[in-house]
Amino acid sequence: MSKHQQQPASFLERLIFNNRPAVILLCLLISVFLFFQASQVRPQTSFEKMIPLGHPYIQKMLEHRNDLANLGNTVRISVEAVDGDIFSKEYMETLRLINDEAFYIPGVDRSGLKSLWSPSVRWTEVTEEGFAGGEVIPQTYDGSSESLEELRSNILKSGQIGRLVGNNFKSSIVDLPLLESYADPEDQSKQIPLDYQKFSHELEEKVRDKYQAQNPNVKIHIIGFAKKVGDLIDGLIGVALFFAVAIAITFVLLLWFTHCFKSTLAVVVATLIAVVWQLGLLHTLGFGLDPYSMLVPFLVFAIGISHGVQKINGIAMASGEATDSLSAARMAFRQLFIPGLVALLSDAVGFITLLLIDIGVIRELAIGASMGVAVIILTNLILLPVMISYIGISKKAVQISREDAVKEHPFWRFISNCAHPMVAPISVVVAVIALAGGVWYGQNLKIGDLDQGAPELHPDSRYNLDNDFVIRNYSTSSDVLVIMVKTAPEGCSTYQTLSAMDELMWKMENTDGVQSAISMVTVSRQVIKGMNEGNLKWETLSRNQDMLNNSIARADGLYNGDCSVAPVLVFLTDHKAETLTRAVQVAEDFAKENNKEGLEFILAAGNAGIEAATNEVIAASETTMLIAVYAAVSIMCLLTFRSLAATLCVILPLVLTSVLGNALMAYMGIGVKVATLPVIALGVGIGVDYGIYIYSRLETYLRQGLSLQDAYYETLKSTGKAVLFTGVCLAIGVATWIFSTIKFQADMGLMLTFMFLWNMIGAIWLLPALARFLINPEKLRNKA
Amino acid sequence: MSEPVVRRTQAGHVVGLSHTPALRHSPIAKALSLCGVLSMLMLASAPLQAASDEGSKFSITSAKAPHSLLLDVASLGKRLVTVGDRGHILYSDDNGASWVQAKVPTKQMLTAVFFIDDSHGWAVGHDAQILASTDGGATWVKQFEDLEREEGAPFLDVWFKDRNNGFVVGAYGALLETTDGGANWVDIGDRMGNEDLYHLNAIVEVKDSGLFVVGEQGVMFRSPDWGQTWETLEGPYEGSLFGALGTDEAGAILVYGLRGHLFRSADFGTTWQAISLNTANNGPLEFGLADGNRLADGSIVVVGHGGTVLKSTDNGRNFSVTNRADRLSLAGVAAMENGNLILVGQGGVHTAAPTGADLGQQ
Repeated sequence: MSKHQQQPASFLERLIFNNRPAVILLCLLISVFLFFQASQVRPQTSFEKMIPLGHPYIQKMLEHRNDLANLGNTVRISVEAVDGDIFSKEYMETLRLINDEAFYIPGVDRSGLKSLWSPSVRWTEVTEEGFAGGEVIPQTYDGSSESLEELRSNILKSGQIGRLVGNNFKSSIVDLPLLESYADPEDQSKQIPLDYQKFSHELEEKVRDKYQAQNPNVKIHIIGFAKKVGDLIDGLIGVALFFAVAIAITFVLLLWFTHCFKSTLAVVVATLIAVVWQLGLLHTLGFGLDPYSMLVPFLVFAIGISHGVQKINGIAMASGEATDSLSAARMAFRQLFIPGLVALLSDAVGFITLLLIDIGVIRELAIGASMGVAVIILTNLILLPVMISYIGISKKAVQISREDAVKEHPFWRFISNCAHPMVAPISVVVAVIALAGGVWYGQNLKIGDLDQGAPELHPDSRYNLDNDFVIRNYSTSSDVLVIMVKTAPEGCSTYQTLSAMDELMWKMENTDGVQSAISMVTVSRQVIKGMNEGNLKWETLSRNQDMLNNSIARADGLYNGDCSVAPVLVFLTDHKAETLTRAVQVAEDFAKENNKEGLEFILAAGNAGIEAATNEVIAASETTMLIAVYAAVSIMCLLTFRSLAATLCVILPLVLTSVLGNALMAYMGIGVKVATLPVIALGVGIGVDYGIYIYSRLETYLRQGLSLQDAYYETLKSTGKAVLFTGVCLAIGVATWIFSTIKFQADMGLMLTFMFLWNMIGAIWLLPALARFLINPEKLRNKA
Repeated sequence: MSEPVVRRTQAGHVVGLSHTPALRHSPIAKALSLCGVLSMLMLASAPLQAASDEGSKFSITSAKAPHSLLLDVASLGKRLVTVGDRGHILYSDDNGASWVQAKVPTKQMLTAVFFIDDSHGWAVGHDAQILASTDGGATWVKQFEDLEREEGAPFLDVWFKDRNNGFVVGAYGALLETTDGGANWVDIGDRMGNEDLYHLNAIVEVKDSGLFVVGEQGVMFRSPDWGQTWETLEGPYEGSLFGALGTDEAGAILVYGLRGHLFRSADFGTTWQAISLNTANNGPLEFGLADGNRLADGSIVVVGHGGTVLKSTDNGRNFSVTNRADRLSLAGVAAMENGNLILVGQGGVHTAAPTGADLGQQ
């Protein structure tokens, strides 16, 4: 029989199998401790972890964070009148109730709440005596048609059209600034941090559901960072349900594969232990579950199952020869521990390369996934065989395995033709054409997010539909690039500064993809016009410093306390990478030409600024990461097989998968972004498993003197089923993600499913074809 | 009689201005230096355009110019010329369907434009600027600029009697005259009894009578000898008047301003009659009125804030009131060859039916 099985027991094997009760007990203790830890893992999303903290834009943004107070955390509730316009008694009443209801939602900064019903929302008018003004909804308002007419005229004079009131008068907004933490209503001395999920649910129940039911003529749209995060956390919890689905499907498949309930249960239990350990370690190390690291338990489960399957397969085959379940387990351990270890280590090394990307969530994903893989070494390579050694494998399964070993398999016989001297060249040519096609089509691949609205959520999610409604009906977009203008203290209101800002704004507004720009200049021009009796001919900056100083007095939040930093807010039509790059480039050029002593234009803040920085980091990391991950797995293969040819046989199919993966992303309109970048490393890291398992068997049979095709047939007969099963298992584990309400999770799920399946196909189909050209069976036989 | 201060025109100087910076900041040199940046290759066109605009004092050519704030419009036969924010001057030869941006040597806001014939016109604006064109508004030269005068306070209106003789009025009582087509501009503010230096908002011709000027806090002046001597009048209104318009009747004039105030005089401003303006729901019009014009059929149109368009077919005795749906404030109006209106103001140019309604709405 094969050489491996005759090898003497290694020290490790003796250590484990001579102390089986100790191994079980130890694992049990660890499990209890880590289960307790894992139960405390909470979903969390941290803004700072999702952005590249090392990028100069982000550093500048954080540096000036306190100067940019107005770009804060607000939620906007847009109340739409489905029929007619806002000038109806019923509509205004519903708006008032919503205004009052929102006022009492914990976390709302009540002093900043703004709607048509707020006394702070006023109209102004130039009269013979100067400015006149009043509340938009006067004290005398009674819902009569006269007061509604007065309301209409007040709104026209208030300058709120496009801001609090929709451009078509069919909706108006309740603006809720939020507090990051607020005083506990029970105990005023305690501060409660804002719970985004709870807040988001309260908006749904107390505002949307309640008032849409109460007044069927209104439709409520809610947008804002807090709402988005609330929806994301909901989506995150939804994904947890997929885990149960993945377990159920896997269980059924495993049962079909092993024909043995006992070992199926053993594999699933061992793998779930790995998941619990991974989650427990995550919490022990102080991490939480974010929408990205949520992927890790799925991956750990899938990888664990696939290694468990290899083990069960090995034990079942060994059972045919061994006398009892213990020696069968020992035999399988001896045979599979090293390839399993190598495969898992390559996974881990592949994941570790993700640390190269300077974005917190990706690094945590890398750490979590590496940790999870390390845990699988303990649970599925050590604990699982020990468990099986006690419970054994059902007679039927052993019987089937024994029959399989001797009977002819037409399917595998057919597949073994991949190694046929006539078929192999065709396969290679096809692969080269596919590679060339993939490279050509992959050129369409874009960096960044490609859809409108909140990229984290699906374009047709309620949040994005709401967001779309607000963008269409109001004069602001949700993609804001902020350029900070820095001067000496008290220097922000000089004519020189303001006119330079004005010029920058006009330059930005004339850039493709820019909707509008606002800054203190916008306010200044309006106020100067107002000071000149509303005459449009004065709606421009004045060279008179007193006039400028007066004019910016009302521009609250558009400059900082000592008038040394003023933001220019540039509203973009979308956040596609080209739009961002174009806008950022124009701003950078302007800064380069106009920066001087005492007047600096600094990029960048705002969500578009952050996305621009993220895109730059991703574009820069993509190649580095690809090189690193391929270098890492190549070195692992070289160390294992000590052969360049063998390494090429394993790696080249992976390259094809990566290239086709890029083409698929281009085709599906998925950009390279924080969510999809790790997929490449994960895909390559895990995909290398198949190659390693197949090649190590193939080599064994070649050393025994079989021809390439016969050796490949034997390989497929013994491990092909397990490889096929592994691919399907991995794919199922991540495929459930395609149904996530979180867009980037769905993208990740789709890409990983493709990578896992295609890597398997590549290994089975292309590896033997490459071996036909690269491996000389004669030489291997001689070495043996 | 005191000698008026003669200010040399800067026309000769301007030619130099437009060339020197262009040499110093050669667009090609700039483009070359930028080419080093790899990412720029994809965006070559945008930076090149930016580079050529940079370093010059010319207004930036912009596709958005027809939709940005515009303040006055003149109709010269087939062509329309409009001026506004950021030194934008645009002209259209197809009744406002498409606009060409003129080459203009300023980035400052321009407030008024006046053409005496198909080719000769003047525009005035902030920084006390006067620009002139001799080719129907396609190109402009700077005739006058004064950053010292009240820190560059704006000129607000311009009127020419013929190609040589014209007047400019502006903020803080500015009144200037030229007798040589703008080669020299003379400050003649002391001919007017405007000791408080009220802003002078508009200067117009009254048929067979002379010139008329209105301004801040309702001040008004008339000159029966076409600008040589000015008589201060007691106005009917203490609020500011933004515009004035002569009618087809000798001596008849309309003045208008803040909060929907419009007055008519049949005797060159000696006596006044308030014209009541009522909105669709019968409340008094409260929007400021900015500018007006006579149409070919003899009717009169006045525009103002809140999308207000007034129309009179009886030489200004009665007006119908329309408030356009978009409520954008209007600053200027002219009639087009086809009888439709061209309105300018917030949101740039709007073409409208003779009633002021959007053409699309009909």
